[in-house]
Amino acid sequence: MTSTTEPVEVAGPGGGSTRRRGRRRWPLLLVFLLPALALYTVFIVYPLVSALQYSFFDWTGTRQNGFAGLANFRDLFTKYPLSEQVWRALAHNCVFFIGTMLIQTTGGLLLATLLHRSRRGKRFLQTAYVLPHLVSPIVAGYLWSLMLNPQFGAINAALRGVGLGSLAQPWRGDPHLALPVAIVINAWQWVGFPMLLFAAALAGIPEEYHEAARVDGASAWKSFWQVTFPLLTPVLGIVTVLTFIGNFNILDLIYALQGSKGNPAYSTDVLGLLFYRTAFENPDANAIGQSSALAVCMFILIFGISAAANRFFRRMEARLK
Amino acid sequence: MRKFCTVITALGVVLAAPACAPSTKSGGDKVTLTVLSWRPEDTAGYAKIFAPFEKSHPKIKVKFKPIKNTEYLTVLPTELKKATGGPDVVQLKPYGPIQSLISAGNLAPLDGQVDVSKWDPSVLQAAKGKQDGKLYGVPYAMQTLSVLYNKKIFADQQIQPPTTWADFTAACDKLKKAGITPLSTSGLQPWVLAIDHQIFGATRYGGDDFAKAALAGQKNFTDPDYTASLDVTAKLKPYYPDKVAAVDYPDAQTLFTSGKAAMYPGGSYEVGPFTKTNPDLQIGSFDAPPAPGAKVNHALTSGFVDGSYGVNAHSEHKTEAMELVKWMATPEFGQLYANTLKQISAVPGVTPGDPLLAQTYEGFKTHGATYMMVVDFGYGNPLGRDQEGEALQKMLSGTSAADAGKLVQKGISAWFKPSGG
Amino acid sequence: MTTSVLEPAVAVAPARRRRRPRRGAVASTVLLWVYAVAALAPLIIMALGSLRTEQDLATKPLGIPTHPAFENYAKAWSEGGFSSYFVNSIIVTVGAVVLGTGVAVLAAYPLARYRFRGQGLLTAYFLAGLMLPIRLGIVPVFYLLNSIGLIDSRIGLICVYAASGVPFAIFVLTAFFRGLPNELEEAARIDGAGELRIFAQIMVPMVRPALTTVALFQFIPLWNDFFFPLVLMEDDKYTLPVGLTRFVAEFEAAHAQLYAGLVITTIPLVLLFLLATKQIVAGLTAGMTK
Repeated sequence: MTSTTEPVEVAGPGGGSTRRRGRRRWPLLLVFLLPALALYTVFIVYPLVSALQYSFFDWTGTRQNGFAGLANFRDLFTKYPLSEQVWRALAHNCVFFIGTMLIQTTGGLLLATLLHRSRRGKRFLQTAYVLPHLVSPIVAGYLWSLMLNPQFGAINAALRGVGLGSLAQPWRGDPHLALPVAIVINAWQWVGFPMLLFAAALAGIPEEYHEAARVDGASAWKSFWQVTFPLLTPVLGIVTVLTFIGNFNILDLIYALQGSKGNPAYSTDVLGLLFYRTAFENPDANAIGQSSALAVCMFILIFGISAAANRFFRRMEARLK
Repeated sequence: MRKFCTVITALGVVLAAPACAPSTKSGGDKVTLTVLSWRPEDTAGYAKIFAPFEKSHPKIKVKFKPIKNTEYLTVLPTELKKATGGPDVVQLKPYGPIQSLISAGNLAPLDGQVDVSKWDPSVLQAAKGKQDGKLYGVPYAMQTLSVLYNKKIFADQQIQPPTTWADFTAACDKLKKAGITPLSTSGLQPWVLAIDHQIFGATRYGGDDFAKAALAGQKNFTDPDYTASLDVTAKLKPYYPDKVAAVDYPDAQTLFTSGKAAMYPGGSYEVGPFTKTNPDLQIGSFDAPPAPGAKVNHALTSGFVDGSYGVNAHSEHKTEAMELVKWMATPEFGQLYANTLKQISAVPGVTPGDPLLAQTYEGFKTHGATYMMVVDFGYGNPLGRDQEGEALQKMLSGTSAADAGKLVQKGISAWFKPSGG
Repeated sequence: MTTSVLEPAVAVAPARRRRRPRRGAVASTVLLWVYAVAALAPLIIMALGSLRTEQDLATKPLGIPTHPAFENYAKAWSEGGFSSYFVNSIIVTVGAVVLGTGVAVLAAYPLARYRFRGQGLLTAYFLAGLMLPIRLGIVPVFYLLNSIGLIDSRIGLICVYAASGVPFAIFVLTAFFRGLPNELEEAARIDGAGELRIFAQIMVPMVRPALTTVALFQFIPLWNDFFFPLVLMEDDKYTLPVGLTRFVAEFEAAHAQLYAGLVITTIPLVLLFLLATKQIVAGLTAGMTK
């Protein structure tokens, strides 16, 4: 299928290897590959590797001192307030992830399923659900802090307007409410995304499957759980991994909503914010060492878990097929 | 790459040119000093202040370059790290935050360069290295903390500035009954709560005597006097705005400037912006009366140094930069600064032109206290101010004063080693 | 590659005769529309708020602008600095998308259609970037740009942004290139066309729809990003999201102008979305084929 007289071989199902001739095409390959390789390596990979290197050194301000071994990592887990902030932020990230999965993923699935069956206004509805997703998290944060403002905000005013003034809350100020409020805002922004993924998957399920289930006398509910849902598990896997990555990287929304300290009383502090503070608002002279150590830990956590989860879901998918 | 940098620099010069339009052509060997600051709102004021300096130093041009307050601490260390094109003179936060810049060798020592013989050592402390005791900045402003009040509301409600705690709470009750928020403050921002505590609680914990004892290790923040002072602040919750925990700093300011709140515990630095927002606002100031059980039986005006101006150790125009900070220690600068920006100058012998500031500064000089959590306990992670603010936030949602005290102690003791005892 | 979701659903069976279709259908329709209102309400409040006066907002948090206060926009645009933030955003985002997509399409082609040693490894190396939390490298990125004189420079930010988009672009484009037929290419080769010409004149035009998807999909997160410019840029070179934080710090109480600033930041994306819904949705769901 491939002309072997040509210097470059096109990959194809039956394409054999012609390594001897391959020598000549390296210059050509370089022309194609080098720009992307250089850009990606210099600006993405190299900094991440450097962060690893930084984390093993002691720093005074911006001056690199001697090799510090694991001292920066030890500081993270033993030196107050970092030792407390790291675990608290991690816990908040976990709550954030679970909360988001519960609200956003079930919401997305529900909307996609209902939308799949409805006929009128489908396009408009879908657009309405996806629009908040386009808004910058910074915009979402400031918009909601304006709306949740206890004195001048729309939410409490609306509650008072319909006679539910007693439900008006210090939404951003109560340490017990602040995190759930942030989760809901995040879900408002993101729900359109799993919805789209589920909708795409639903559209790919042949109607015959449902017909077959119906003929067997299964209710709509049963048919959903026994026929549709299993077919959605691969998507659920993707949604879970993407939600995980998104949630453990979260920073912008909370920064706009609650400032860099995760007000009130650090009740909305998350790892991304802590990293930012440790790197750029840290009164400790060794800010770069500590923040790099934190970056390395976060990297292992985020990359490690998402890679593992990806593999797990792929295997599950393979088994389903 | 080098060539490229040159192009960028050249572009920068071209773009910057209109900003210093009138005199760029006059002298070819003129030096332009960049002054980095966290006060974008003062840009016009500084142009006025630096004008006489530029006149007396015809070879020097001063470019004021402001960066957003909340990002300043991020930007400053990296600006100072720049090999070329970094700022020459930089505005420095007082006390703790400059220490890492000093130990990294980013700032030039000023000892022997600037005449500070007449200055109060407690003022200079704000700009000194904790380790080497050298001076790294010229303090430019003092801030005082007191209760600001709306004179018109007080007159309408026939309230006099209170001198006893009973009078104070009675005034608050009266205002509340009239539908006016007695005290406007922000429960969402820890640093605002720490300031409230300094204003209302200083008399209760004992002012500078307590600070000294804590520095020496004779007392700590689980001390009943200190926790009681936290309680004094948290117990004012009924007089704070509704849902105070969620009130943000700008909201608190707006409540006061729009006349919805009668009092605003805050700093002298608020007076200028308040007057600018609402020129009709008649602002008065009083010191919070001694709280019940107070260790100090008279009112206290707390104060601290707002910051200083230092010289970048890698400045390309160090000599000229030294000239500028030298001038910033003179009464000429002090008076210009005080009058133009409506602030209390740190230069000895300069009196604020604004009567309100003159009043609070006088209060600080006659019955002052240091803002303990910034002046004495602002040298490590967490800053005393932030830790105390966090503790107060927790108290607003129900934590006991004793637990809050423990939290403060835990934070401070993470880095603070008492000097004696 | 992806299923176009917004196509009318074919799945609705004509013969749907169920026992109680009406109650369920009504409930689901109500739910769908109620949530649509909830999803849009904040955006509507934002748009309305940007047209109300400061006093109006302070006295009545909820309300409709009877006399649209367009001066909010004028003020935010000039005094609030949004004009320069807007220009910066456009330059940086467009520059990064063009550069990132450009280098990615070059790289994706041999990765998908050639055979060479280390190909699999190289592909994996690029695709690993899909999961890299690149923000964690911010401190070294800063020193890197500082050492090559690209700090506070739009070009520096463009490079970082372009690089961040490479993995996704390669991911989508390799999938596309792989799916292309061989005939045209072979015919060209027999005619004696060089490899670069085959690439530029035959292959690239065939992946144009994918290029649009990739470009649009990079555009959104870069336009919205705030972290990198926050650290890497100075005030006069801020993009819109960081410009917003600066505006909030400087004009804290100017709620109406802030609303206008939020609208200015959001409008380009909304327009883009309405114009190119299909491509954006395709981009969003591209993760499906992973």
